Amino acid sequence: MTDASDTDPGYALAPDGSFTAPLTLAYPYSRTVGPTYGRFLTGLAEGRFVATVGSDGRVFVPPAEFDPTTGQALDQWVDIAAEGTVESWSWQPEPSDAQPLDHPFAWVLVRLDGADTALLHVCDVPDPGAMETGMRVRARFVDGADPGMGALECFEPIGDDAGNDGGDRS
Amino acid sequence: MGAERCAVVGVGQTKHDSCRADVSIAGLVREAADRALAAAGMVMDDIDAVVIGKAPDMLEGVMMPELWLAEALAAAGKPVFRVHTAGSVGGSTAIVAAQHVMAGIHKRVLTIAFEKQSDGNAMWALSVPMPFSMPVHAGAGGYFAPHVRSYIKRSGAPTHIGAMVAVKDRTNACANPYAHLHEPDWTLERAMESPMLWDPIRFVETCPSSDGAAALVLVSEDVADSMDVPKAWVHATSMRSEPTMFAGRNQVSPQAGRDCAADLWRKAGITDPASQVDVAEIYVPFSWFEPMWLENLGFAELNTGWRMVEDGVTDLRGGSLPINPSGGVLSSNPIGASGMLRFGEAAMQVMGVAGDHQVDGARTAVGHAYGGGSQFFAMWVVGAEKL
Repeated sequence: MTDASDTDPGYALAPDGSFTAPLTLAYPYSRTVGPTYGRFLTGLAEGRFVATVGSDGRVFVPPAEFDPTTGQALDQWVDIAAEGTVESWSWQPEPSDAQPLDHPFAWVLVRLDGADTALLHVCDVPDPGAMETGMRVRARFVDGADPGMGALECFEPIGDDAGNDGGDRS
Repeated sequence: MGAERCAVVGVGQTKHDSCRADVSIAGLVREAADRALAAAGMVMDDIDAVVIGKAPDMLEGVMMPELWLAEALAAAGKPVFRVHTAGSVGGSTAIVAAQHVMAGIHKRVLTIAFEKQSDGNAMWALSVPMPFSMPVHAGAGGYFAPHVRSYIKRSGAPTHIGAMVAVKDRTNACANPYAHLHEPDWTLERAMESPMLWDPIRFVETCPSSDGAAALVLVSEDVADSMDVPKAWVHATSMRSEPTMFAGRNQVSPQAGRDCAADLWRKAGITDPASQVDVAEIYVPFSWFEPMWLENLGFAELNTGWRMVEDGVTDLRGGSLPINPSGGVLSSNPIGASGMLRFGEAAMQVMGVAGDHQVDGARTAVGHAYGGGSQFFAMWVVGAEKL
């Protein structure tokens, strides 16, 4: 009694007498991102980063809608460079389908120039030997992408010393 | 041991609409909170604790929103509590907030409830095929229509009563700037021609799907006494529950609702609700629930609630017991917030700040919410004076 179909609810009786039934939840939802994340996601499609400034002067990217310390609504915006410094990284040897790149890559925490917080994304390098904390990276955007995180393809090293000479991933 | 006194000193709500695409959930919640705080002349820093409620997470597919709403609620460094009681949650959330004050634990509590229905589909999200349970697969209207049909059969109510309530509530909503639906042109004749959705519930007799939030600021007696703002004193609160299904259950007038009301009246010192209460905001998502709840609450004798509707007793203009002057759930239904809107609107009436839908001279008001399969009840009585 393990076959699930429209007529058989798929109840399963185990040798020890325990009895289970399947329950599959699948339901479509949407999410209104609101003006703050909306501006950030729209900026990505234009190839740029925007950030909000906290009540203590800290620059948040991705932007914070409300100050994490005081709760104040944040409406002061600054443009942030598309280049930054890797604060930490981890190697992904076998990417899954849902991940940003289809070949091995590095997860990176990037602090963009001018920002006080780090952004989690991926860095496109051929092997972990090309990664180093403190290395410089720049964003690679998808030309003509719709607003959304998909507009930011990945980060890539700046300069030859990072072991990547211009996007050759062979 | 007696409880401390508690007062509502600020009521806030969003403009309710079918889709508030201009704000995130955090922004929606904050809009209501900011208005409640402004009404109280307070800022977030003045608040000691935050109590948040919403209907089931399945409705929008959110996972524990109290976690990621902390910044929007300025809750850093403060206690946050989340309340769950299905559609009645807005009412029970307000009660939990009041209990923090009445227990003497916190002096200034902000409570917020919300729903962003446009991010999900509340009608079907709860029709999940649970193993070993009879599936409902009916949506809210399909679930409650048999209860309404049973009420009509038991009470002998004429079939135009539901349409009368709908016309009243939709008309009342036109005097409430925050209401989702502003439809001034309903007449009984037109309402009777409204398409039958779930027999005997017509389209006009059904609540809309709304995005919205509500918020209250509740404070202790010493804090309230030091404030120069309109106040609504919490005279009594009560909550009761019962199982969704059991043989012999009275879905038309659930025992939990009757017990809850009896407890409420006793605590508030009310012996004749229909004459001692000036106005009530009760949870009426389908118009027939107005006469049903009038009976369940004890405002009317069994099977006579519909007569109060027909006689105009529940009208905003000229009725002796106006019901839902705000337009009610029938005109705005951000589900999680709907109960708190009832509680907040009741407070606004005794504070005298209800604007164009103010009931003249309202001194004692009731807020009421129910949820689940008519199985969770939350109610409060608020007054212009201390009890």
